[in-house]
Amino acid sequence: MPKIEDEIVRRQRERARIMGWLLGAFVILIFFITIAKTRMNW
Amino acid sequence: MPAIELTNPAALPADWRDILALTKPRVMYLVVFTGLCGLLVAPMMPPAVLGFTAILCIALGAGACGALNQWYEADIDAKMRRTANRPLPSGRMDRQSAMHFGVGLGFFSVLLMGLAANWLAALLLAVSILFYVLVYTVWLKPRTAQNIVIGGAAGAFPPLIGWVAATGHVSALPLLLFAIIFLWTPPHFWALSLFVRSDYAAAGIPMLPVVAGVSTTRRQIFLYSLPMAAAAIAPWPAGLAGRAYGVSATVLSAVFLVLAARVMTNRATDPAQMAPEKKLFAYSVFYLFALFAVLVADSWLVG
Repeated sequence: MPKIEDEIVRRQRERARIMGWLLGAFVILIFFITIAKTRMNW
Repeated sequence: MPAIELTNPAALPADWRDILALTKPRVMYLVVFTGLCGLLVAPMMPPAVLGFTAILCIALGAGACGALNQWYEADIDAKMRRTANRPLPSGRMDRQSAMHFGVGLGFFSVLLMGLAANWLAALLLAVSILFYVLVYTVWLKPRTAQNIVIGGAAGAFPPLIGWVAATGHVSALPLLLFAIIFLWTPPHFWALSLFVRSDYAAAGIPMLPVVAGVSTTRRQIFLYSLPMAAAAIAPWPAGLAGRAYGVSATVLSAVFLVLAARVMTNRATDPAQMAPEKKLFAYSVFYLFALFAVLVADSWLVG
């Protein structure tokens, strides 16, 4: 049933793309949190 | 591909829009806004990125509450028109995924809050999530008409958490902000539950209009509005906010009381004739937004 398989692949791709963006944003956020925390302790 | 997957959309990986809908983003605005106001009126400002992260954690915590609430109430949601099209009752997503998502999001928000802000703010966030899920959703909501009175505490936490994220301690003003939302919740939700009463009755949820009737609910709305107005004005005489806030809070609360009085004198039982209730519900949302916005403006602009 190609239609269902296509739908599964489409959803998995969309979720993987969003997860990638969120993980990237999280890494950047953690970087800036670390900088801010370090400056507070100076 | 087994044939069952054709008739069971929950067997497919959930669409990201349905995962987002689990977090009840429309309810989140008020939570985020009050949390932000709690942070902004605090006497000391954390670095912008830490303040942003604290508000993000409040939003994620609220999202976790929404997801766990929908996971637990999927059967009830299916019986109500207003909620029947949510991802779980409509069968677009399976319950276990929703539960895993909610628990994961809750843990993540608390951990990030602890690391970015402080562990007292993280503890308060954890307490608010647990209170909403265990005390309100699981225990009170299906059992007592007072569900919204006690459960309202869960929604009152954000300004307190915002303040504590900025300062690291609790003091009088954030406790008053907690009290304002706590006392605002019953009139707000009871106004809504009056004109969606049949939905709650069909789902077997003992909301006050279902258990005690519409006239008792209308009287209770007005009675709860009185201490709410007192709490809203209190920061002014207590010296915790300026005259601009005091005058604005008095005017906003007076309008709230007039609308609550109109609800009390309404005799209609047909939702189509419940214009005063719908007006009070809409105004109550504006009221809280305006009250907190004025508090921040008073603190920042007037000093």
